Amino acid sequence: MHIPDGFLNAGTSAVTGAVSVGAVGYGLYRARKELDEKRVPLLALCAAFVFAAQMLNFPVAGGTSGHFLGGVLAAVLLGPWLGSLVIALVLLVQALGFADGGVTALGANVFNMALVGTVLSYFVFAGFKALLPRNRASFLGAVAAASWLSVMLASGACAVELAVSGTSPLGVALPAMLGVHAIIGIGEALITTAVVAVVLQVRPDLVGSWDLASSGGYALETTGVS
Amino acid sequence: MQHSFLDSYSGLDSPLRRLDPRAKLAGLFIFVLLCVTTPPNLYVAFAAYLVLELMLLFLSRLPWRHVAARVLVVLPFILAVALFLPFFKKGGGSYNLGPLSVSGHGLLVLWNVAAKSTLSVLAVILLSSTTPFADLVKGMRKMRVPELLTSLLSFTYRYIFVLTDEAQRMRRARDSRGWKGRWLWQARTVGHMVATLFLRSYERGERVYAAMLARGYDGSLPMVYGYSFGDAEWAFVCLVVLAPLAARVLSYGLLAV
Repeated sequence: MHIPDGFLNAGTSAVTGAVSVGAVGYGLYRARKELDEKRVPLLALCAAFVFAAQMLNFPVAGGTSGHFLGGVLAAVLLGPWLGSLVIALVLLVQALGFADGGVTALGANVFNMALVGTVLSYFVFAGFKALLPRNRASFLGAVAAASWLSVMLASGACAVELAVSGTSPLGVALPAMLGVHAIIGIGEALITTAVVAVVLQVRPDLVGSWDLASSGGYALETTGVS
Repeated sequence: MQHSFLDSYSGLDSPLRRLDPRAKLAGLFIFVLLCVTTPPNLYVAFAAYLVLELMLLFLSRLPWRHVAARVLVVLPFILAVALFLPFFKKGGGSYNLGPLSVSGHGLLVLWNVAAKSTLSVLAVILLSSTTPFADLVKGMRKMRVPELLTSLLSFTYRYIFVLTDEAQRMRRARDSRGWKGRWLWQARTVGHMVATLFLRSYERGERVYAAMLARGYDGSLPMVYGYSFGDAEWAFVCLVVLAPLAARVLSYGLLAV
């Protein structure tokens, strides 16, 4: 889903670029406020973690494979804005360091994956969470549903941008993108839910959006220095 | 250490490697902008862009096999998104290719995205393979990118190698126990691996943070910038901006004749 250079027209690149610069700026502002500016290594480790996790491919069907996106995971663990900053960092490193995703399409990629796939999907998750009964199973259910939707929403946004740019007609691109990503989304949902479940068990203090009483688990106090 | 494929040549000495990263960042970004905004029917201009890039590639002394392999990363996207276009788009006349009919307009769009994405990815590879990422980030900091963002970037890049190592160790352990990723429900195994990776990374981050505090870290990193923006840098920026611009104007003129 990393759009290379040349697939988008100037208008689409400029608009998504402006929105993304604003969002990254706001993410940095929130990071300064919430992380007292010094816990940079932790945020960077989360970004490196998403990068490394994206290198683990999982099978889809018929020999194709999808990889993990991580937007909902980052948002559920760190909150929507820090989560989106983390995903934007991953995209920035991929575009500049590894030529994965174009530099003029960076705005669109950040828009699709760090805004639609992370911030918007976090609010979808929060909506599900508010509607469902307050227990562990429905928390994980909300995580799973939001992760599946996040992949669909992000790939849908990608198809719309390609159509607006006159690259591929919406009638062909949208069903094709959504069809493939409906399957990739299942993998995303399984992985995100498994990760959140394990982290809830071991370090419930790290799941930022978990507001129920924690059930056991142990907490390693390694951050007692300040 | 099996991740050397990630960043293998940025230490190679060459005239391009010695340039101030700011010149390469700004120059190649403007080059990509010029490239993606060129109308697709200015074929001479695209040929000139390619010649310019091959010249820079020669100057960079990068092995061409390595570069070619990395250019191929855009191929899946072109295949997935654009290859069907000639068969679906309408207009611009049509050609017959066996039983299939190919539209001229669709072919032009396919050429447009294939040429621009390949040329742009080559430009980015020229940038990233001749500049160590740490120097790239320092250049960005000199260009007044917020320090929080640049330090996040350099930490992220540093940790990517640590975590990729960790992930590869886990994958090797999994595969040596006979795991075959064939079915969708096996994503559960990947989920557990990712969870373990997250916990190990986070706790490593906590330890690193504590260690940095113990060494007097106060939120800013001192920087030594070993480059200066001199004549070579100006020459480089002029070359990668003016040459494509001239080619574009010339190509437009040829088209009008």
